Amino acid sequence: MAPLSNDRKRALRPELDALVGTDGVLSDPDELLVYESDGLTLFRALADFVVFPRSAEQVAAVVKLANREDLPFVARGAGTGLSGGCLPAEGGIVLSLMRMNRVLEVDYDNQIAVVEPGLVNLHLSWRVGPQGYYYAPDPSSQQACTIGGNIANNSGGPHTLKYGVTTNHVLGLEVVMPDGEILWLGGKTRETPGYDVTGVFVGSEGTFGIATKIVVRILKKPQAVKTVLAVFDQVEHASAAVSEIIARGLVPAAIEMIDHLTIQAVEDAFGCGYPRDAAAALLIEVDGLAVGMDAQTERIVAACRERGARDTRVARDEAERQLLWKGRKSAFGAYGRVSPAYMVMDGVIPRTKLPYVLGRVNEIVAAYGLRVGNVFHAGDGNLHPNILYDPRKPGEEARVVQAGAEIMKLCADVGGSISGEHGIGLEKADFMPFIFSAADLGVMARLKRAFNPTNLCNPGKIFPTKKSCGEVAVGYRPHPIEAKGLAQRF
Amino acid sequence: MPSTLVEKLAAVVGPDHVATGVALSPYVIEGRTPEAAVFPGTVDDVRAVLGVAAALAVPVVPWGGGTAAGVGMPTTWSGLVLGLGRLNRILEHEPGDLTVTAEAGVTIAQLQAALGAKGQWLSLDPPDADRATVGGVIAANASGPRRHLYGTARDLLIGVSVVTAEGEVVRGGGKVVKNVAGYDLPKLYIGSYGTLGIVVEATFKLRPRPDDERFVPVMLSSVKDAGAALRSVMGSDLVPTVLELLDADAARALGVTAAAALVVGFDGLTEQIDWQATELARIAAAHGGRTGAALGGGATARLATAARDACPAAASVMRLSVLPTQVAETIEHGGAAAKARGLTSAWSAHAGVGVVTAVLAAPDVARATDIAAVLGEWRGVARAGGGFATLEWAPLAVKASVPVWDDLGAAGRVMQRIKAELDPNNLLNPGRFVGGM
Repeated sequence: MAPLSNDRKRALRPELDALVGTDGVLSDPDELLVYESDGLTLFRALADFVVFPRSAEQVAAVVKLANREDLPFVARGAGTGLSGGCLPAEGGIVLSLMRMNRVLEVDYDNQIAVVEPGLVNLHLSWRVGPQGYYYAPDPSSQQACTIGGNIANNSGGPHTLKYGVTTNHVLGLEVVMPDGEILWLGGKTRETPGYDVTGVFVGSEGTFGIATKIVVRILKKPQAVKTVLAVFDQVEHASAAVSEIIARGLVPAAIEMIDHLTIQAVEDAFGCGYPRDAAAALLIEVDGLAVGMDAQTERIVAACRERGARDTRVARDEAERQLLWKGRKSAFGAYGRVSPAYMVMDGVIPRTKLPYVLGRVNEIVAAYGLRVGNVFHAGDGNLHPNILYDPRKPGEEARVVQAGAEIMKLCADVGGSISGEHGIGLEKADFMPFIFSAADLGVMARLKRAFNPTNLCNPGKIFPTKKSCGEVAVGYRPHPIEAKGLAQRF
Repeated sequence: MPSTLVEKLAAVVGPDHVATGVALSPYVIEGRTPEAAVFPGTVDDVRAVLGVAAALAVPVVPWGGGTAAGVGMPTTWSGLVLGLGRLNRILEHEPGDLTVTAEAGVTIAQLQAALGAKGQWLSLDPPDADRATVGGVIAANASGPRRHLYGTARDLLIGVSVVTAEGEVVRGGGKVVKNVAGYDLPKLYIGSYGTLGIVVEATFKLRPRPDDERFVPVMLSSVKDAGAALRSVMGSDLVPTVLELLDADAARALGVTAAAALVVGFDGLTEQIDWQATELARIAAAHGGRTGAALGGGATARLATAARDACPAAASVMRLSVLPTQVAETIEHGGAAAKARGLTSAWSAHAGVGVVTAVLAAPDVARATDIAAVLGEWRGVARAGGGFATLEWAPLAVKASVPVWDDLGAAGRVMQRIKAELDPNNLLNPGRFVGGM
C-alpha cells in the first residue's frame, strides 16, 4: 500500500462527503497533520483522509468504501494513546469518533450505561455523579481520552488495583466489523451465549473492528475515601512497604509510587506538598464503608512505618486529597520543568520484584547517560519509567529507545509483561517475542483472521515485523513505514 | 481401529493410564461411551495424546472433575476422553504477588486449602469444589454466589496455557495482574467448553482472606417484595459480596422459612459487617421483611445448590441471564408457567448480577410435552427482556425438543470463524457447544 494518487484522492473525496457530510472529511495534507501521531510522537504517518462519522451507519459506510477501494482504515479517539496504536498505515482512512460522544442511556437500577465511543472517560463519571455513581476505570488521561480508546487499549489507571481494568467493566459492544457489518458482541446481561467475543475485542487495539456503542458498568460511589502519603528515604523501603500492605490482608483502591526526581518536578510545577528531599513517596488510597476506614488506615500506616517510612500523613480533607492526586496525575506534564522531553515506558513485573527491577532500571538508564523519573502503579507492579532526554542532542533519542528496549527485556526476564496499559501498537510490536512464542503469536494471528481477514482494519500493529519471530535484536530498528520515508521519528 | 488408538495412547502414557471397556463407565455421557479414556501426567503427554488423536482423526473430550460433563449437547462422536486429573500440581504461589499458577487438574478445594494456609484465596466459589477442577471451571465458566462482588473467571484469570488441536502449547496472558500485551487469549477459553483448546495450566489473581464473613437472610412476604428489597440494597451504601434471591422452596432448602428470601453476604472487618447487617435490617423492614440469624458454615455451597436441593426429582435445570431488575418478575412468571401445567419449580438467583437458576421438577418423565412447553416459556421470558437462557441440565429426551443454547445472532458468525481457525478439523468436543461448535 502507498498513499493515494492525487487523482484517486480527488475522486474519493465527494463519495466520503456524501457519506459523512462535507464538514466531516479532511483531505488537505496540512489539516491531516494533526492526525499524524498519537501521544507517542516518535512515530508519525499521514492518512489520505480523516473522517468524522456521527453514527454506526456512517462508520459502516466508510468501512465498506475502504474495503471496496482496498484502503486501510483505523479508528481514532482523542489520540492520547502512547504506543502509536491509532496511527494510519501508509495512507488510508482515519475514522475519528469524536463526534460520537453521547451518553445514550443510563440505567441506575441495573448499574449500566450505554455510551458512544467518542465520549470522554471522565464525562461519564460527571454525568452519573449526581446520582451517586461513577465509571471506575480512571486512566491518568481521563480528562481527554475516550471510552472507545479505552476499549481498544483495555485501559487501566491508578484504581485498577481494587476495581480492575476496562475489560472488567464492559458488558457489550455494538461493533462495525472490518467488512462493514454492524453487529452486537455481548449485551446488557452478564451472561451471553457463545465465546466471550466481547472479552477478546477489548484490548485488541482497534484491529478487530470499531466499537460504536458500549455497554459499561457504573458503580456506586464509595461512602468514604482516605488517602495516605508515606514518605521514604530509600526506594527499597517504599517497595517493601507495598508488599507489607498486601501481606496484611489489605486491598487498597490504589498504591502509587513517586520517586525523588518526579517529586522535584511535581513540586516545581504545582507545589502539591510532597517533601522535596524524599527518595520516594507512596500515595495509598482506601475506599469503601465509612465504618472501619480508620482501622484500615491505621493498618496501612503501621505497615509503612514498619518498612521504614520516615513520615506518614493522612489527607485531612478533600482539598488536600485532591492536591496529592494532582501531583500524581500531573507528573508527566511536570517533567517539562526538568527536561525538554521524556519518553514514557510501560511494563509490568511481579510486585515482589519491585526493589530489584527499580534498581536495574536506574542502572540501565544511567549506563546510557540519561536520567529517569518513576511514577507508577506500585500495587499492580505496573512500572512507568520516564526517560528524560533532549531531542536536540544528536543520538540522545536513539539511546532512549535502546534503554527502553532493555527495560522491556528486564520486565520480561523477571516474569512480567511488556505492557500494563499503554498497549503494543507500533512501538512494541517487535518486543512481543520477549514474552510470546511463535505458537502463541500464531494463535493470536488466527484470532485476528477470524475478525479481520483482509487485514485492512488497523494493519501493522501488535505483531512483530520481523519474518522470524524467534530472533529479536534489542534496540531500535526503523518500522517499515519509516524506512520507506512515509513516517518519521522525532 | 480402536485397538490402534489404545496401543498408541498406551505408548505415550503407559497402559496403566489408559481406560477401556467397563472402566469407561464414569465417562459415559447420555448413553454414549467413549472409545477410550487417557490420563496424561505431563503437559508434554497431553500434546502427544492430541497428536495421536489428530493423526487418527478421533475427537477429544477434555475431562476435569466431570461436574459439567452433562452440559451441552452430547458430542457427535465421543471419541477419546482426555482426563486431566493427574495434572494436579500447584506450580507457583508467591503470596506477595497475590497470584497462583496451577495445573488444570487441581481441584478448587485443593487450591483453596493451599492458598488459605497463606491467608489468601481465589475469590471464585463454583459448586462441587471438591470435584470441580481449575481447567473445568475455566472451560465451563463456573461461578458461585460471591461473583456478585468478586466477578467470575474472566475477572480473575490472568494467564492460561492451552494445548491446541494440533498439539502445540500456547500461552496467553501472563503471570502479572495487569497486562495488555497481545490479545486477551484467556478470555477466549473461558466458557468455551473445551472446544478451542485444552487448558493445562492457569494463573489467577488472588485476594487476601477477609477478617470475617457473614451471610444474613432476609425473610419477605413475596417474590415481588424481595425484588423491591433487592433494588434498595443495590442502591444503598452496602457493599455485599453475595446478593441472592430465593423463592420459598429454595429458601426452605437453606433452612429459611419465608415466601421469598434475600441472602446478603458481607466480608471485611467485623465492625463493617455489623454496621451493614444493621443497615440491612432497616432496608428489610422498609419492605415489610426482617433479617434472620446468620447462615451457618458452608453457606455459599448451599446457596449455590439451593434450587436443586429443593427439587430432588429435577427434570431440567435452566439458567437464565436477565437484568437484576427483571429477576423477581422472571421468577414470578416462570413459577406460574410451571404451575399452570401442573409442574413444580424452584428458583434461586445471583440476583445482583441477574443470573437465575430455575429447576423444574417432574414426577413423571412421560410429561415431556409439558416440560418442553414450560422450558420454552421460561426461555421466552428471558428473551423478551433482552436476556438469554441455557438448558443447563436435562435428559436427552428433553434436549431433543428444547434447544440447549440460545441463538447466537450475528455474533455467531464471528464465533464460527474463531472455531474454524483454532480447531479446523473439528476435533475438540465437536458438536457440544452452541451453534454446533
